[in-house]
Amino acid sequence: MMRPLLETTDLSKHFGGLKALNKVNMKIYREEILGLLGPNGAGKTVCFNLISGVYKPTSGAIEFENTRTEGLPPYRVAAAGIGRTFQIVKPFGNLSVLENVLVARGISRYGSFVKIWRGWKTGRERKAAMNVLERVGLADLADRKASLLPLGNLRRLEIARALIVGRKLLLLDESFSGLRHEETARLEALIRNIREGGVTILLIEHNMRVAMNLCDRIVVLDHGKTIAEGDPRSIQQNERVIEAYLGRKGGAVAA
Amino acid sequence: MSSYLITVATLIAIYAIVVCGLNVIVGFAGQISLGHAAFFGIGAYASAILTTKAALSFWTALPLVILVSALIGLLLGLPSLRVKDDFLAITTIGINFIVEAVFLYIPFFGGALGIGGIPQVFFFGMKMRGTAYFILCLLFLLIVLFVCWWFTKSWGGLACFALREEEEAASSMGISPIRFKLLAFVLGTAIAGLGGALYAHYMRFISATDFSFPLSITFLGMIVLGGMGTIWGPVLGAFLLGILPELFRPLVNYRILFYTVILLLMIRFQPGGLLGEHSIARKVFSFRLLRART
Repeated sequence: MMRPLLETTDLSKHFGGLKALNKVNMKIYREEILGLLGPNGAGKTVCFNLISGVYKPTSGAIEFENTRTEGLPPYRVAAAGIGRTFQIVKPFGNLSVLENVLVARGISRYGSFVKIWRGWKTGRERKAAMNVLERVGLADLADRKASLLPLGNLRRLEIARALIVGRKLLLLDESFSGLRHEETARLEALIRNIREGGVTILLIEHNMRVAMNLCDRIVVLDHGKTIAEGDPRSIQQNERVIEAYLGRKGGAVAA
Repeated sequence: MSSYLITVATLIAIYAIVVCGLNVIVGFAGQISLGHAAFFGIGAYASAILTTKAALSFWTALPLVILVSALIGLLLGLPSLRVKDDFLAITTIGINFIVEAVFLYIPFFGGALGIGGIPQVFFFGMKMRGTAYFILCLLFLLIVLFVCWWFTKSWGGLACFALREEEEAASSMGISPIRFKLLAFVLGTAIAGLGGALYAHYMRFISATDFSFPLSITFLGMIVLGGMGTIWGPVLGAFLLGILPELFRPLVNYRILFYTVILLLMIRFQPGGLLGEHSIARKVFSFRLLRART
């Protein structure tokens, strides 16, 4: 079988006595859209933070393109081609929308002591950044200060930045939450479009309709463990998933 | 110009240089430093020692002075920049006190007597005094302003802005927080070192108390007043806080009161500084530009 782009082996993260993530084995294959689902507190965001390097795992391994990446700092994970968005948006508030995107474009320079002295205010950079803004539909607001944007636009800005960093893998943390219906449809189209460009996508999603529609495959977490894995249809009918979300049928009290 | 005015102007130009350096650290990279006078002092002492004990000329010593200031900045910045905000403020205050104590208690640095007999600066055989030295300081200030301006247009500067705004997001975009904070810190301390050298050769006598903690506060005050993170803000701040004590000299007993009132008014009405965003100066200026266009 094809080798996965990213694979976690017995990945665990404990906070004191709390096992936020407990021996999770997950494979993400090239150019798929993998959904990470689960009730609140299931460990989805912890999983994201482990992959993107925000946390160091308690134990276990993460392998990205045959290289071990667990424990690497976030800026090195980013340099490897993994981009992410944050559940709670983190814009560079005092910079313009365009400058926010340009920060991400600097990723190919930040590692070199020579290149960081070159200028970023070039026509070429501006054009490239505008292209990305057009893709996410923020081109009209390019010169607006980021802190003045409403939440929906900030989510798109997050995606624009992550899109540049995530040349290979894109981690989207609840990018659909708080969006209106037509915005959701546009974002779905954008994500499909990104995948067609050869980027693999891992997304956390609470909106079931969106997740079922968009994902090729779904992994469901509950209490830090994988409880189900498979295509959207089989997940919908999975007993354990229904139980995790809605509780057990009938015999719950007796158990 | 009278020699009194020249003296005040020269000191303002030197302070403006040092404060531009602090602005790189505080204004661009968002890392609070309450110990900038220490690096000003390190530059002054390095230049004083190299020109008196090692008998180098000002010009041959200058690159070494900047290098020494940058290296000590690197060494002290490396552990300090691992902490943030209030903790960083306290750590940098500590740096200021330690550096001052080293100058004061180690005989090599002249102890309480300081270092005297620092040679004057020659430029193509011409002795730089009075107006000439003031112009020299202005030239250095222009170079420093150019470096700062360049920094804001470089990828390194953009990385610092991103870190200032939102560190976690910045590091998810390939920016190593410690590397770029250090870059700003070292650039800032190197510029402070340059200012220190100019100060030492102007005063020709320096002692540890010239570089004590209250001066660091004054430097920070200059940035806050002028406009943090702007290019010209530090210069305006250095000018105003440099000239005010001279204007209020008859009211010497009330000087601190005036400072306090100015500071409170700034915090209330112009929190971004005189040249900062939403400042009156900017509004007036952009209003005029608009009128000129239409």
